[in-house]
Amino acid sequence: MKDNYILFTVVDTTYGVASQDVAHVELVEDVTRVPNAPQHVDGVVFSRGAVVPAVNLRARFGFERVPVDARTRLVVVQREGRSVGLIVDAAREFVTIPSETIHPPAEGLTGTTGKYLRGVATIGGRMILILDVTELLNTNELAAQEK
Amino acid sequence: MASPEQGADDFLAGFIDDYYAECDEHLTTIRRLLSDANPAAARGMPAGTIEELFRAFHSIKGLSGMVELRDAELLAHHMESYLRQLRARETVLSSQGLDALIGGTSLLERVIAAHREGTSSPVIAPAIEALAIVSVPDLTGRPGTERETSIEQPLGTAWSVVFTPSAALAARGVTVDRVRTRLTEIGRITGAAPRVDDAGGITFEFVVESVQDASVFESWANDGIVSTQRAAHSPEIAGHAAEPATGGSALTSSHFVRVDLGRLDELMRMIGDLVITRARLGESLAKIEARVPAVEWRTVQENSHSMERQLRDLREGVMRVRLVRIGEIFERMPFVVRDLARESGRGVELQITGQETEIDKYLVERMMDPVLHLVRNAVSHGIEPAAARRASGKDETGLLTLSAASVGDLVTIEVADDGRGVDVDAVRKRARAIGIAVDEGPLEGRELLDILCAPGFSTRDTADRAAGRGVGMAVVRNAVQELGGVLTLDTVRGQGTRFLIELPLTLAITDAIIASVGGQIFAVPQSSVREVIDVPAESVRALENHEIMPYRGGVLPLLRLASVFGLIARPGRTLHVFVIGSGASAVGVAVDRIHTQREIVVRTMTDPLIRSEGITGATDLGDGRVVLILDLLRTARLASEASAAQALRSGA
Amino acid sequence: MKSIVIVDDSPTIRRMVRAALAGIPAGRFIEAASGLEAIEQLTLGPVGLMVLDLNMPDMHGVEVLQFVRRHPAFRSLPVIVLTTRGDDESRRIAMEAGATLYLTKPFVPQVLAGHASDLFASPQAAQEGHRGES
Repeated sequence: MKDNYILFTVVDTTYGVASQDVAHVELVEDVTRVPNAPQHVDGVVFSRGAVVPAVNLRARFGFERVPVDARTRLVVVQREGRSVGLIVDAAREFVTIPSETIHPPAEGLTGTTGKYLRGVATIGGRMILILDVTELLNTNELAAQEK
Repeated sequence: MASPEQGADDFLAGFIDDYYAECDEHLTTIRRLLSDANPAAARGMPAGTIEELFRAFHSIKGLSGMVELRDAELLAHHMESYLRQLRARETVLSSQGLDALIGGTSLLERVIAAHREGTSSPVIAPAIEALAIVSVPDLTGRPGTERETSIEQPLGTAWSVVFTPSAALAARGVTVDRVRTRLTEIGRITGAAPRVDDAGGITFEFVVESVQDASVFESWANDGIVSTQRAAHSPEIAGHAAEPATGGSALTSSHFVRVDLGRLDELMRMIGDLVITRARLGESLAKIEARVPAVEWRTVQENSHSMERQLRDLREGVMRVRLVRIGEIFERMPFVVRDLARESGRGVELQITGQETEIDKYLVERMMDPVLHLVRNAVSHGIEPAAARRASGKDETGLLTLSAASVGDLVTIEVADDGRGVDVDAVRKRARAIGIAVDEGPLEGRELLDILCAPGFSTRDTADRAAGRGVGMAVVRNAVQELGGVLTLDTVRGQGTRFLIELPLTLAITDAIIASVGGQIFAVPQSSVREVIDVPAESVRALENHEIMPYRGGVLPLLRLASVFGLIARPGRTLHVFVIGSGASAVGVAVDRIHTQREIVVRTMTDPLIRSEGITGATDLGDGRVVLILDLLRTARLASEASAAQALRSGA
Repeated sequence: MKSIVIVDDSPTIRRMVRAALAGIPAGRFIEAASGLEAIEQLTLGPVGLMVLDLNMPDMHGVEVLQFVRRHPAFRSLPVIVLTTRGDDESRRIAMEAGATLYLTKPFVPQVLAGHASDLFASPQAAQEGHRGES
């Protein structure tokens, strides 16, 4: 079923994104800075022949950026015709998470990450935060933020 | 006064480009014919093919003689002689003979290329030797009017078609050449001869075999063409053999025009400008909609939309003119495969499909080397030696397939082999050795390709000549990406490997000047730049809250791109400035360095997250990195609006 | 105005010949890529000179010559054969078929121009038997 997820980590926290929303995962190569782009957009890269924004999830979630290393990956997600790349610390796993095991986010989880969460799942003792891709890609609040 | 010989030299020098172009056409034909040739076929090489090859080498010989390229002339002469012997059935085509033809053709290409590039010509003796071995001793060169009448199955009904030329018909474009072309389109010409009628007029009689019905021929009556069906056993027209069954050479006087690619590019640029102007017109019209009576507005709108549609069609039409057969790339491969297979001691069969798929001429030139590299890779690293193949139950001869197809907006090129597949474990080990973190799980698709293309990666000795000078997968992928395409890899251990290249059918290409600011590279479309000048830094003056620079006796507002983009400019005594716009709105935009001017393929940047005023798109200069394309006029306008607004705010 | 018909299946050679003969006054140039087209040109207007290649795909130059000479109107048309074959046998055959002059490729532009100019200006010279190569 559509219970498959790609897992990646950002600052020691594991996140999951529905695999049907993920086009592919790649190595991060040179990201070209775009002048006047939103703060958390590192820039653009080529992916499968198209120019794709590279969103730094560390920055998006309010953390400090770190240099790209051997484990850094670009998770390219697709939604409503848009392709956007998410820069994460590591991305490798592909798991099945039955929908019954996903619980709505707790009240306490507010702040920047809270808004992008669809739910939380626990697999083998590990907590996985399931992300809402549409919210992640949303640019409306960006515009509001800038003004 | 110049000697006659010198005058002749100057005269010839003016035709050298024609020489190269015409030889190129002949060589393309030769490659096509040879790549289809199969010496094992029961009847040997078809008479039509031998004839076409003969003519092609004969033409190259004559032309080379005219421009005094002795090596090319001599080599072509030997090729022609061998083909004359084949034509006269003094010998038949063997595998060795085909090799000699193929080798000779490659060498001929290199000799001509060497002349073009001004490098030293390769030695031709070995090729001539190879041809001599398969030829029979040449008797005195007989003046050739030998023709072979091919005995082929009749194709439908035989018609006798008589064409009477006249000045009036010629004025309408109905000439004997046109008539002949029409006939080849509807059937096969088995005879053609001129005749003198009783009144002393000249007519042409063709015998055509066709499955078309009488109505086709009747419709031509107004063009001076009279057709009658022939009885089953009518006498043949004396003297003339069947036209080559392979569709003849494209060199007859022609429905074809040779076009300079530069002119096509110019046309495309003009169309691009038209598109922009029409868009601006659309915007202006939208603004005045409120003031125009509804009925008239509708008409205006309709016309505007029609224009948009027509421009789109025009653009597509011009783009189609640039399309050529992908066979131009594919037909060089049999030569490469034969050489490589022999060198590496493998048996390889090459199957080609989709040669008629059309792609943009620009793409053909850029894809030649990448495809060559993939083919070399497949033969040298993919296909195993015969013993290994036998051991794993495969056919001793490896199979390499090259195919092309057009699917919607894309052209796909596939290079596949049934060899050993990529050794993923070795790749993983190597990746870790050069510092890329890879997990234990399956390594495939994009991730595998990324690693193969990573800098520093190569599982073979770079001294391995057969791997193509250690060029590397990265170069292949970059070339594909630079054109807006995608390279994918599928491989199964023990079964084989498949590379798929997908390219957009149409490209937006433009000339751009590459410059850098604050350490970042940008591309500026040439059409937007009036001039590029150097300005001493100290001649810049500050005026209120902007800067001005001297220009042609006056001044020009100066904008520093670094500050617009929030970058740190490299300090220097000279500013490199693009002069943009004209008249009152002219502006100078300063950058750190101006690098070079080149063609770029324009890629769109549509996502809202990266839409930035003044950035009109992106391009790849060949290393896989995104380079932004700037609209300096817009950037300048925005900057001046911003500073005007700021001046207002600070109450200046 | 009489025309000069240049017959060769190679567009480059046609252009070269045309350039070589450019100086001939009162001449209109027509290019033909095959024997049939060359013969067609004879019917379309007055032709003052023909420069003819021999080895062509549809009709051999010798056959063109033979056809042309069989026609009373063109018996005296000056025809310069311009071919790669330089052997005596080929020349004999061409001259017997009715060539006015037999020249070989590669040709020296000024030499070709000289002969062509003479023949175009005074076709009667062509009728006075065969001339060899000078």
